[in-house]
Amino acid sequence: MLKKLLSVTCLFSVAMWSTASAETISMWVRSGIGDSFKEVVKAYNAKGGDTVELTEVPFAELVQKYATAIAGGQAPDALSLDLIYTPAFAAADQLEDMTDWAKSLPYFNSLAPAHVKLGTYDDRIYGLPLSVETSIFAWNKELYRKAGLDPEKAPATWEEITANAEKIRALGGDTYGFYFSGGGCGGCMIFTFTPLVWGAGADILSEDGKTATLDTPEMRKAVDFYRNLVAKDTVPAGSASDNGVNFLSITNGKIGQQSLGAFAIGTLVTQHPEIDFGVTLIPGVDGNPSSFAGGDNFVVTKGTARLDNVKSFLEYIYSVEGQKIMAKFGSLPTRSDIAEEVLAGLDPRLGVAMKAVSVAKTPYTLQFNDLINSANGPWATFINAAIYGDDVDGAFANAQSEMQSIIDTAQ
Amino acid sequence: MTMPPVASRPPRARRRRNKSSLAGLIYIAPAMALVTVFFVIPVLFTLWMSLHRWPLLGAPRWIGLGNYARMLTDARFFTALSFTAHYTVVVTIAIFAVAFPLAFFVEKQKPFISAYRTVIFLPVVVGLASASLLWVWLANVDSGLFAPLFQALGLTAGRVNLLATFDIAFLTIIIMVVWKIAGFTMIILLTGLQAIPAELTEAARIDGARRWQRFRHLTLPLMRRTLALALILSITGSILAFDQFYIMTSGGPQNRMISVVYYIFNQSFVSFNLGYGAALSIALLAILVAISVAQLWLLKVGEDRP
Repeated sequence: MLKKLLSVTCLFSVAMWSTASAETISMWVRSGIGDSFKEVVKAYNAKGGDTVELTEVPFAELVQKYATAIAGGQAPDALSLDLIYTPAFAAADQLEDMTDWAKSLPYFNSLAPAHVKLGTYDDRIYGLPLSVETSIFAWNKELYRKAGLDPEKAPATWEEITANAEKIRALGGDTYGFYFSGGGCGGCMIFTFTPLVWGAGADILSEDGKTATLDTPEMRKAVDFYRNLVAKDTVPAGSASDNGVNFLSITNGKIGQQSLGAFAIGTLVTQHPEIDFGVTLIPGVDGNPSSFAGGDNFVVTKGTARLDNVKSFLEYIYSVEGQKIMAKFGSLPTRSDIAEEVLAGLDPRLGVAMKAVSVAKTPYTLQFNDLINSANGPWATFINAAIYGDDVDGAFANAQSEMQSIIDTAQ
Repeated sequence: MTMPPVASRPPRARRRRNKSSLAGLIYIAPAMALVTVFFVIPVLFTLWMSLHRWPLLGAPRWIGLGNYARMLTDARFFTALSFTAHYTVVVTIAIFAVAFPLAFFVEKQKPFISAYRTVIFLPVVVGLASASLLWVWLANVDSGLFAPLFQALGLTAGRVNLLATFDIAFLTIIIMVVWKIAGFTMIILLTGLQAIPAELTEAARIDGARRWQRFRHLTLPLMRRTLALALILSITGSILAFDQFYIMTSGGPQNRMISVVYYIFNQSFVSFNLGYGAALSIALLAILVAISVAQLWLLKVGEDRP
């Protein structure tokens, strides 16, 4: 309160003293997406002029916190919103229409197309790409060496991954071969686990998003691979109740292999330089790789008083300087026209994540929170029940029918 | 009715009485204002919301009793209700089983009694959310306390993830809640115990009543009001349980720990159906009132005899 009062007083006096005053833009960002956005904000604030005040919100609560903040009139000026939510928020008429300004940008046509598509509702643009990441498979080269494996050879199938996991686990102690957040983190698992079935041509929802197609031979095969990894004790016991808090377990240096996102590459490179790791595309159950293209859209709360300041901040993000900072911390370039220039001189492993874009998918459904991300939704429950439970058939049947009923109720 | 006829009073007395009742009204006005603003109006507003399809974003639409009709066929709501009932019964028995002996233990004057009372009461002043977070760490299989400790003591073959399966996770939560709440119930029971005159116990002892007989026929009846208070607080608190499931297990494993309040939270702020959440809240309010009335009636608290 005192802080608020102080900042209000400061703002007021600044406004009184100079007409060309610097403004403070309030922005929210979700946790768990790496440091790229935080770093670009730091750089922008250091330039002088407008400043951005960043609030980090736990990723699982961002949507409800933002929705309640809008209802209470306390919403931030702008938000780094998980791109899959942009249509739902735009449909509810809560976001600023940025169509004309966006189209006036000279590089508009080279902005990440999947993000722009999800940011568009009824032919108007409400969200623009802020951060882009893809899911990839990472392995710890040092543990590979210790286990007598070739540290430079990327595993290409799940049979290979399982065999490697067992060899790494054989090192003993608390060294494990594989990790995933299997305790109700729907977001983690849609990101890292669905590529197994996507690569083989199956999906969990039909093309139009109106039918749940969870129970496929491909998904059964994928579940078997993970069950097998658990049964062979290659996964730490904590995984069964990890709701996403320990998603980056590989950073402790005792996990041999894990599916991750490009943001995690940035985190590993900048904060854990001691970990020597390689990355490759996530193999599907039949060996064909796939990936989840995710990330955040930049959206502006409808009616904000600082629209122009927000726009100039976004222009800074899209500049080569801004893009380079973002990329260094793991966010792939959002502008394809300068992508090469941005990635030049940066960690070559980011190139693998960039390559994943060509095989990546992004699910489109207005019920994403209910179906997938909610810790109590059918997807998160299914993951835990199918991989850790005793009744796989029951897990498939329950999740399939509950997903369908959520889709049907919403229509 | 033994009221004297009003007309026989001198007019001045009546005026004074009117004046004093006005003064009384003024005295309770602040309390009434608080209750109105923070209880009556929110409840009425919740009632109003429950008659709408009220999304968190966008415009509400009147649907009458639609939300209540939906509730009747909502299997997940009934699952949440039965889990909450199960939890309430287990945790209330556990709390009383621990709090009663503790109350007897700290009642008598003995050396260091204040220290014992303080130590037992300490967990109560920790917030439930903080306590849950603390226990999440204690129960963490890799970096916590219990799993490595049990392994070192030879109780388990390997490290067991306490929060991974329903039975053990439920047991862990029950132990956490008892650790956190039993001290509070103990204090309430203690006040009841101390209110029993020593002469009565003494007389019963002289009459030859044994320890159990004294407890059954003297202590328990005399503590009826205290018991009612402790029981109602415990049951109401358990029915409204949310933090421990949200923080410690995220409602898992496999959604088997979704309490009613958790379900209301999910409906309101995950699925954004504020209207349906409001209807569920009203239903829960009705259930709570019914249970409290039944308890007061069973324990005959309203009657004058002790």
